Amino acid sequence: MRLSDFIAIGLGLALTAYALLAGADFGAGILHLTFTGRPHQQGSLTRTIGPLWEANHVWLIFCITILFSAFPAAFAALGRVLLAPFTLVLMALVVRGVAFGVLSGAAGLERADRLLGRAFGAASVIAPLLFGASAAAVAQVSSAARTASAAPAGGTPLSVPWTGLFAGMVGLLAVALCAHLGAVFMTSRLERAGEMRLVDGFRRRGLQTGTALLGFSVLALLVAAWKAPSVWHRLTTAGLALVVIGLLATVASVISLARRRYSTARGATLLAGGALMWGWFIAQSPHLIGTRLTIDTAAATAPALTALAVAGGLVLIAVLPAFYLLYVLFARPSPEVTE
Amino acid sequence: MSSPGFAVISHLTAGRGQMGTSLSFHLFFAVLGVGLPLMMLTAEGMHLRTGDPVWRALARRWSKVFALLFAVGAASGTIISFELGLLWPRFMAFAGGIIGLPFSLEGAAFFIEAIFVGIYLYGWNRLSPRAHWLAGFPIALSAAASAFFIVTANAWMNVPRGFQLSHGRVTHVNVLAAMFNPAWATETTHMVLGAYLATTFGVAAVYAVGMLRGRRDAYHRKAITVSLAMAAIIAPLQLGVGDLLGRTVAQHQPATLAAIEGVSHTESGAGLNVGGIPLPGHATTVFNVKVPNLLSLLAYDRPNAPVRGLDTFPKVDRTPLAGWTRLSFIGMVGIGTGLVVLSLWYWLRRRRNGPAPEDRYTLLALAAAGPLAFLANELGWLVSELGRQPWVVYGVFRTASAITTASGLGATFAGFTILYLGLSLVTVWGVRRITTGTPDHGHAPALSVA
Repeated sequence: MRLSDFIAIGLGLALTAYALLAGADFGAGILHLTFTGRPHQQGSLTRTIGPLWEANHVWLIFCITILFSAFPAAFAALGRVLLAPFTLVLMALVVRGVAFGVLSGAAGLERADRLLGRAFGAASVIAPLLFGASAAAVAQVSSAARTASAAPAGGTPLSVPWTGLFAGMVGLLAVALCAHLGAVFMTSRLERAGEMRLVDGFRRRGLQTGTALLGFSVLALLVAAWKAPSVWHRLTTAGLALVVIGLLATVASVISLARRRYSTARGATLLAGGALMWGWFIAQSPHLIGTRLTIDTAAATAPALTALAVAGGLVLIAVLPAFYLLYVLFARPSPEVTE
Repeated sequence: MSSPGFAVISHLTAGRGQMGTSLSFHLFFAVLGVGLPLMMLTAEGMHLRTGDPVWRALARRWSKVFALLFAVGAASGTIISFELGLLWPRFMAFAGGIIGLPFSLEGAAFFIEAIFVGIYLYGWNRLSPRAHWLAGFPIALSAAASAFFIVTANAWMNVPRGFQLSHGRVTHVNVLAAMFNPAWATETTHMVLGAYLATTFGVAAVYAVGMLRGRRDAYHRKAITVSLAMAAIIAPLQLGVGDLLGRTVAQHQPATLAAIEGVSHTESGAGLNVGGIPLPGHATTVFNVKVPNLLSLLAYDRPNAPVRGLDTFPKVDRTPLAGWTRLSFIGMVGIGTGLVVLSLWYWLRRRRNGPAPEDRYTLLALAAAGPLAFLANELGWLVSELGRQPWVVYGVFRTASAITTASGLGATFAGFTILYLGLSLVTVWGVRRITTGTPDHGHAPALSVA
């Protein structure tokens, strides 16, 4: 394996960290929307993610910087073809950040807070929906798919069907995964804090979202077989083991929730999410974009990769202990209202 | 690439407009993100030392404002990291492998900052007072480090080093040489000091307004004192660093120097144009006082050194916005000088008379200095960006060659502009809600800020 392959694996790990950790924060936003009118549930959600969500969000920045430092050609190509969905994602992210920041700043007018809560929730749905759709669209890019019409001089036209049926299904799958992550994380946290009254509401949401996750997983696979045969082919060959693991883990998560084994459910959900991400990566490898742009072709020069690998390693040595400290410190949601 | 029927502005202008709007929005929050942690730490440290609850109340109030501003800054910064690829894919395909290192390191600094922001903001009751105070240090350090790393990338765009071009391909990349290009030291220091300066004057302005409205208590006095004490140290330093940065520009960006100093024809023993305000669209300037030989002396240390005029550069290599560049430069230097004078004058008066000057005019001057200090930061950034045009990487890569081939920039520019306006309003409303709400503690009276 070359250095660029190791960096691509690192990128995959960072993206997985973002999908699972920030995914749970998106899930908290989605659940916040479903608990409209129930301040206890909503309060426990905002208090739980308050100290954590900014740090979880940084995984996205980290991924972007790795992508454009190590694979500038891939970053440029993605930027060109995903202008529309990513513009919408960015708008959702900034609305979400501002709404949550204002919401948790001070308790104020009830009507304004309700509006901010809705904005926070809606943006939490839109971001994973479009991230999922974009990922599915990128996975569908094949060397055969070229659009003749919009071919700019010197550019490499890619057809990225982010509004297609398969993309939409994967987008819904991503939303369900986030919501399920959020619900499952909340049940195990609240259980440890002894807030059993709140646990039940989140358990119910966990069962609903888990079922939805399972349903969308199966549907996405069926749609792939119909609409995205190249993805289907790769998922059922190279990615088969991970697809099976992902489906089984989702089932295990729902069963554990039903039996009130919240830690097991959390582990199973993380496994399901990880299997989903790596199923996508394995199905694509050794390509960064569909079956079009390989890791090797997109890689920057050797000195740049070396510097990046060293810097990335140092980053993780500095950051992971700090993350550990953060999670330990806020392992239990505090009943106190933070100021 | 936009459809001709709807093209009110060109594709390139829309892209530049969107990038500029995003950066100027983000810069405001980035500046406070660098500056406020230092002030929170100072206030909390004073509380630990003196036990005075007013200091603690200040630290807490500032940290709540910081929490909101940090959330907005993190989101708007994310937008920019994406926009580099969405708007300027060809620039990033060219530059990503050369200046990726500082961006990745910035990612690391941002990680540390975000983690400790969580710990600091939500840990008031979970940590001992001393541990809580210490948890603020990584925030202040990594915030300054973030600014440092990002500005090394901007310095590289101004003075590109650490690579070679052969047949349009980037070769012989040396990421350290790229990061530590000749402009790194002066540009980064200028930015970080600028952020501290704007924050200190910004905070002083908020409390000066409070005093003008009659809230003359210990809370307001302490806030103004600590702000201006920091400003008095930083403002003169900034003047010196600004001079050094001017020399860097003179040495490596002659076309930019000519634009910012308003030198149209080559002169030996060039005089410094003080005033010399250009009227956009006209060739002449107004209110100019020319100090003989001073520009040559400042830029090259020799009173008779020649300074190249703008007209010696081929028309395609001149910044098309020379007048605006000069205007931004004059604004920045003028405000900066004013801030130095104001802080020195404040402390001179305070030393002679004992108590702090709290007359109406001093407070009005402070109230005006805050927004002006932020304006100076924005103007300085404009000098760097407009002064480099028509290049995105000076002398190497033209901005017009960097823009995306994807269509629809008019729509995204319009969308983001409306969004930023809305978010600004919501943010202002949110900050006011924090600062005018019920006080944190019963024993620290009159906590309302503005």
